[in-house]
Amino acid sequence: MNKMDTKEAVEHLVALKVMRLTKPALISPKIVTCDSKDLPGNILNNYLKDDAVSVTQMETLAAGQFLLLPQSFGNIYLGETFSCYVCVHNETNQPVQSVSIKADLQTNSQRIPLTTQQSQSPMMLDVDETLSDVIHHEVKDLGTHILVCEVTYMSYYSTLASFRKFFKFEVMKPLDVKTKFYNAESDDVYLEAQVQNITTGPITLEQVSLESSQQFTVKSLNEIEEGQSVFGDITLLQPQESCQYLYCLTPKENISKDIKLLAAAKNIGKFDIVWRSNLGEKGRLQTSQLQRMTTEYGDVRLTYEMLPNKVTVDEPFDFKCKIMNASERTLNLFMKLRSLQDSSLLWCGISNRKLGPLEPGKFIYVNLTALPINTGLHSISGLSLVDLFLKRTYDYDYLASVYVS
Amino acid sequence: MDKPSLSQYFGDSEVPPASQFFDEIGTSPSDMIQSVYLGDSGVNQGTGDLFPHNMTTSFVQPNGSQESFLNVLPTVSVSTAVPTKNLPDPSTFFDTIGPEPQISTNKNNITNQVTLSEAMDGLSIKNQPVDKEEQRRRDAWLPNEEAQKTLLKAQSSPNGSFFPEREALTMPGLVLEEELADALQEVAVKYLGVSSAGSRGVVRAEHVSRDEAGLRELLRTGYLRAAVNLTAVLLSAAGQGAGRMHRATKHTPRTLQLWLTRFAVMLRLKLHEPLLKEAEPFGDFGKPDMFYQFYPDTYGNRSGSLVPFSLRLLVAELPGHAGKPEEAMDRLLALRHVIQQMLSNLRSGKTEDGTETLASEQDKIESIRLWTGRETRVQHSIVNCAIALKEYRLAGKILSSLQHQASSPGQKRAISSALCRLWLLAGHIKAALAHLNDAMESRHHLCPTPDVREYVDMGLVEIANGKYQEAYNNFVKAADQEPTNIMVANNIAVCLLYMGRLKEAIAVLQKAINSDPERGLNESLLVNLCTLYELESSKTNEKKLNLLRMLCKYKSDTIPNVLECLKLS
Repeated sequence: MNKMDTKEAVEHLVALKVMRLTKPALISPKIVTCDSKDLPGNILNNYLKDDAVSVTQMETLAAGQFLLLPQSFGNIYLGETFSCYVCVHNETNQPVQSVSIKADLQTNSQRIPLTTQQSQSPMMLDVDETLSDVIHHEVKDLGTHILVCEVTYMSYYSTLASFRKFFKFEVMKPLDVKTKFYNAESDDVYLEAQVQNITTGPITLEQVSLESSQQFTVKSLNEIEEGQSVFGDITLLQPQESCQYLYCLTPKENISKDIKLLAAAKNIGKFDIVWRSNLGEKGRLQTSQLQRMTTEYGDVRLTYEMLPNKVTVDEPFDFKCKIMNASERTLNLFMKLRSLQDSSLLWCGISNRKLGPLEPGKFIYVNLTALPINTGLHSISGLSLVDLFLKRTYDYDYLASVYVS
Repeated sequence: MDKPSLSQYFGDSEVPPASQFFDEIGTSPSDMIQSVYLGDSGVNQGTGDLFPHNMTTSFVQPNGSQESFLNVLPTVSVSTAVPTKNLPDPSTFFDTIGPEPQISTNKNNITNQVTLSEAMDGLSIKNQPVDKEEQRRRDAWLPNEEAQKTLLKAQSSPNGSFFPEREALTMPGLVLEEELADALQEVAVKYLGVSSAGSRGVVRAEHVSRDEAGLRELLRTGYLRAAVNLTAVLLSAAGQGAGRMHRATKHTPRTLQLWLTRFAVMLRLKLHEPLLKEAEPFGDFGKPDMFYQFYPDTYGNRSGSLVPFSLRLLVAELPGHAGKPEEAMDRLLALRHVIQQMLSNLRSGKTEDGTETLASEQDKIESIRLWTGRETRVQHSIVNCAIALKEYRLAGKILSSLQHQASSPGQKRAISSALCRLWLLAGHIKAALAHLNDAMESRHHLCPTPDVREYVDMGLVEIANGKYQEAYNNFVKAADQEPTNIMVANNIAVCLLYMGRLKEAIAVLQKAINSDPERGLNESLLVNLCTLYELESSKTNEKKLNLLRMLCKYKSDTIPNVLECLKLS
């Protein structure tokens, strides 16, 4: 199919022309001005003023209103719409019968019919008449595309004649999206995404949104109050520039309750990005489902809750410790509290406390009290859990810090 | 395919040439692509008659026969035959970019009228009565430190004892040596034959006086290449001709005005390469011999620069036209810096160079007015440069600052409208809409209903949204108000194409040309029309030649590249 079908040099009664319809350009005249007292006086100024391309009263600014048709094929990027004017013209001085056009787009993986029904149904073309069609296709594949246009008509010998024309173009990648995940203690997942413009011109990001998966609810952290973007009014990216977005994903309640489901919740969601370039040329991309690395909790998951950020020296403070059985068996735990030698936080209360059996997936809260004896930022350390069944010890140091003043 | 590119029409270097568009799409390296135009040879003799009625009748000028046309030619060509009374008051043009006139307009009108008629009559500048303040104001410029030292030396040396270093001298010379032929005439002879082309009256450099008046005559009648040739003659006579580069020479305000004229016309004709070479010896016009203080024997204590401000600006912008907008940007920022220094001197009641106290409040007002106007003009050039670089953020920032300074609703509105289009270029439709609304708001203070500019901006926003029918409707409303507006007709035609109505698009453009050939035979419009011709049919030659005939009839030698414009091969 890569060669034209008719090898013999047949001269056809109709001609086929194809033009890609990218957005037109807004152009300006050559701006050359003089002072009225200069040698050319106002003659050159008047040239500029009389130029149909210049904007009245803004002649010296190159932000024109005059549209120029595309003069080259240009680049095309994934997610943009390929639009094309296909025109068949009767080149003879007699009517031509049964003229029709069929246009297909051949990608690496599929062949997509593009023509409208109307231009496929044969019609008569009078002298100097044209049959035309504007076709649109949202480009969803990278790489080589071939537009195949086939024109069929009735020859003078009342047989159907046809010829084909091929137009090849490459679809390129417009954006590069890099992501980073942070799994927080609170089970929230923070997602950092860098969207980089890898086209050859500037683009405006019209919309960047994260559609969360079933397991999460998403909160965008890219706006200040009243929905104002942190990027200000302008999300214009020059070639190679990136914009960084931040999202907080909270596991839905049914997930966060169950440590198994939580560990299995790897699908975060997908990005939906809309951008525009020259005179509003639009593109839209959706990423595939983003996957996070889930944390390995081991047998026991211990987290601190209600821990103050800031405490006063020599005044004891209270907080809670949540202990969850993340293993497949029942645990029989007891808790050791040791005040380490250099520690600035001294435990208050009973060490070697028995916590009783804990079923898989269940959790208990333990109230704890500590006394800070030095100022500064100190981490909570010296807490261990011992599983009496397997005689296994789990140490928890540096899980959280408090500021002592 | 290759990199995206717009044609050389606006010098965008990253774009492939316009004429190759159709070919390129059909002649890609792989042989699966074939250019198919096939016509029945049996009907070839009919080609010329394919569109007989349409074309020939439509291209006849409604009034004025060929003979009367020939009669007027030798003096004033049609293309720019603007009766004096129709010429705008010279101040209005720069007022559109500068502040509103603040002084009584009466005096202004008189002087401008005088200047204007003198310019029209071809009187040279030196015949005007000398207004010392005005002269100082117009010529003011700050020498750099290096030049300042030399100028002090020149001023303090006794008569005839000052011998400047070679480094202090500007030594220009002509680079473009060959005489330029009338380009339209050449194309016409090639494509239409001597007989058809011969009907064009051609004014050559020999037919006008060999002085500034002759030069203006050539400019006014649109014989731009002949004008370039005449500047070469005059500059050679002044000792700055071919081969004079790097040799000492005498500069006068006159030689610099000749260079200005030459450069301005070369720029219009897109003769960028020789232009850059000829401008090179001038640098940034910072050499001491570009200042009056360098010649105390000739000019007494007159100060300031011999270089007309327009020349300074033109040369600063030059790299931008030759694909180096970054360089132009640096030069323009340097210009703006000097102007801002002079303005700060003026605002503190001193002369531009800060050496003396201003004599009167009137002088201060006038000087500030002139230099803020020039500052605005430079800002516009910086914005243009930023747009060429696609640095839309910078362009937007400067335009917004200009908007804050704008003193009238009309100016505010014009800038909002420009900002709207700027953001459309960047694809930022939301911002474009916001500025369009600002422009509407300002327009309400001027007139209750939308005008052409507003409808066109609205149409452009719709195009950005991909809504060509809505865009078309807006352009049609604009056309209702100004049926002869060429830009509006052009935009309607562009919309029609995107709506799949090629034939109508062609008809609209042809009608626009026929109804006002002088303005309608615009380079960009011709490019659009020929693009449509090529899309419509393989047999475009006759239609293009018809356009060429019209160009010969209505236009002089003003189009940089006729072949490219008509896509003639």
